[in-house]
Amino acid sequence: MRKARTLVSSIAFACLLSSTVSTIALAAECTDTIKVLAQPRDGLTLLEDYKAEFEKLSGGASFEIDYLNENDRRAKTKADASTIGKYNVYYIDEANVALFASAGWVAPLMDYYPADYDYADFDPGRQKVATYDGKVWFAPITGGGDLMVYRKDLLEAAGIAPPKTLDEYIAAVKKLNQPDQGIYGTALRGQRGSGANVWRWMPFFKGFGGNWFDGKTPVFDSEQAVKATETYLELFKYSAPGSQTGGWDEAVGAFTSGQVAMLIESTPLVGMAIDPKSSKVAGKVGYLPPPAPLTGGGYGHGLAIGAKANKDEISKACAGLFIAWATSKENESRRLEANQFSELNRTSIMTSKKFAELYGPDLGQALADTGKVTAVNFWQNPQWPDLGDRWGIILEELITGTRTDIKDGLDELNGFAKDLVARSQ
Amino acid sequence: MKQKNSLPAIFLTPAMMILAVLALVPTVYAIYISLQNRELSRPDGDFVGLANYIDLFSDRRFINAIGVSLTWEAVTVGMTLIVAVGLGILLFECASPRMRNILALLFLMPVILPRVSAAFVWKFAFHPLYGIATYPYKAITGQPLDLLSNPATALATVALVDVWQWGLFFSVIVLKLLQTLPPQPFEAARLDHARTWETYTHIAIPMLKAPLISLAFVKMIESLRAFDLIYVMTRGGPGITTETLDMYAFSQGFIESGRISYASSMAVLMMIATSIVFTFIWKRVQ
Repeated sequence: MRKARTLVSSIAFACLLSSTVSTIALAAECTDTIKVLAQPRDGLTLLEDYKAEFEKLSGGASFEIDYLNENDRRAKTKADASTIGKYNVYYIDEANVALFASAGWVAPLMDYYPADYDYADFDPGRQKVATYDGKVWFAPITGGGDLMVYRKDLLEAAGIAPPKTLDEYIAAVKKLNQPDQGIYGTALRGQRGSGANVWRWMPFFKGFGGNWFDGKTPVFDSEQAVKATETYLELFKYSAPGSQTGGWDEAVGAFTSGQVAMLIESTPLVGMAIDPKSSKVAGKVGYLPPPAPLTGGGYGHGLAIGAKANKDEISKACAGLFIAWATSKENESRRLEANQFSELNRTSIMTSKKFAELYGPDLGQALADTGKVTAVNFWQNPQWPDLGDRWGIILEELITGTRTDIKDGLDELNGFAKDLVARSQ
Repeated sequence: MKQKNSLPAIFLTPAMMILAVLALVPTVYAIYISLQNRELSRPDGDFVGLANYIDLFSDRRFINAIGVSLTWEAVTVGMTLIVAVGLGILLFECASPRMRNILALLFLMPVILPRVSAAFVWKFAFHPLYGIATYPYKAITGQPLDLLSNPATALATVALVDVWQWGLFFSVIVLKLLQTLPPQPFEAARLDHARTWETYTHIAIPMLKAPLISLAFVKMIESLRAFDLIYVMTRGGPGITTETLDMYAFSQGFIESGRISYASSMAVLMMIATSIVFTFIWKRVQ
């Protein structure tokens, strides 16, 4: 028994020693500036205050982050990764991880992610969307599912209980819509894009039992897709002005400025809605999982190792070290201290005493409950952005009235998908 | 004598070589890849002949983009010149020299503002809930005014921003041009009891025909490059009602599909069409 214990402790010591030695060896060679292309995130901005810490850890390497908003970041990362490959680290997301991985634009993360940074600590849902073809490609910087966020004061005044089903939700939205008093029933996303209007439409599509493909045959012109679109368009009648061509910013802005009664949005909304610095309705906000049968839109954004800019193993390891440090427990603790709710991804942080103190038990419970209905709604395929963006344009046309025939729009998408599949073969 | 003749060639050669590298290489490469089926996610591609060009003419978004681009050119060039001439005359007639200088400075400011910044400023100004430009309408009617989400008004609203930037700038140029005109024809017209508008339509504007045509050409070229303004304000929406050719090509190349060969075929067609149209107009004007 004693021998066994000695053996175990020797192995553990050897592992620790080897990881320390490898970190020191790596540190000795990480001296270049790591270039990162990302979209604006408070958590990344916060990192810039701790550049010296990373320089010390890496043995002299610094980092520079260029920021672009979501759609532009997607376009620029795609253009850069496929051509000159200037960036060592890309900010990628659930929608394009398959494309980046299959095109060889990013390197498998776990080959270069130091084990002592404990990747397994990330929320399992976020790990799932960061994985494609059995390999992990990014370390989460944000992610989650959906929550139904509502104004408790407005619902109480109208005598409405927080809706649990979609029918109740639609009825409540209609009743709460009072444009003459500057209150709109809901706020949706109308702006074209697989990550914009399509993202908010998908929970209806999947919730009604829709599927993107049956084998390799596209099946978008299904009854479920028609019903999902009809329901989405119906709700748009009660959506805040500006949301018809707006995205996340417009929907969230309308809610936090006190002009929307309830909406279903990605979980970071809660952090913004309950923060008095960014919300006029802080203290009046309730949250629950999305009403049944809607699924939550599981998503995750994170940092991945660029394959082209990191030509050798050492460069890739340096980029891996940066990613590990940027998403480490220490940096997540700093984000928690800075009240950056939407930038928290680690189970150890979200179940910590400090998290409960800051956000209360209700939010923790709501996040746990919504985790049960969170699903991967999109088509996990390299061609998803192409397909999703095309549907985004057709959907925006339907929302703004430049086309009216839902079935015709879905048929057009079906034809486009067939071409897409044929092109890929 | 021989040395004298070769001097222009000596000076021109380096510049022409740089121009050839900068202009010809990308152009030839664009034509080359437009004949392939390359995508960003696939480094290699096969030659497909004119398939991309043929596909374009059955693509409803491409056909729509041609219409939007032509409308955009006509509206922005036409409105800019109308505003420029109208304001220029107004300043010349009504403002004191000191006031002209102050207003000229103010009118120059919009064009100095980077286009993306101007687009963001106006996008917020036109927001139906908290936009300053839509506030009076909301205050009077109690209804929000969502100009950028309305297919009937979106393109005109973006064009308004373009005209705000360039129309005011050109009005300063028109003012300066009017100041350079000789006073005698105007004095003669007044002696003949010509009305103010007659003086301008029959004397001043015909005298300024050549510089005004030059301004129109400058604006036509500038309007072709309005991608940033439209992209920030509407992203081509609602639907595809403000999607111009350059925006659709960019979408196909980098935002949606990564179909760079297809996008290049659009760019090549645009280049050919603009070269022909501009050459034709230039010859007609001359």
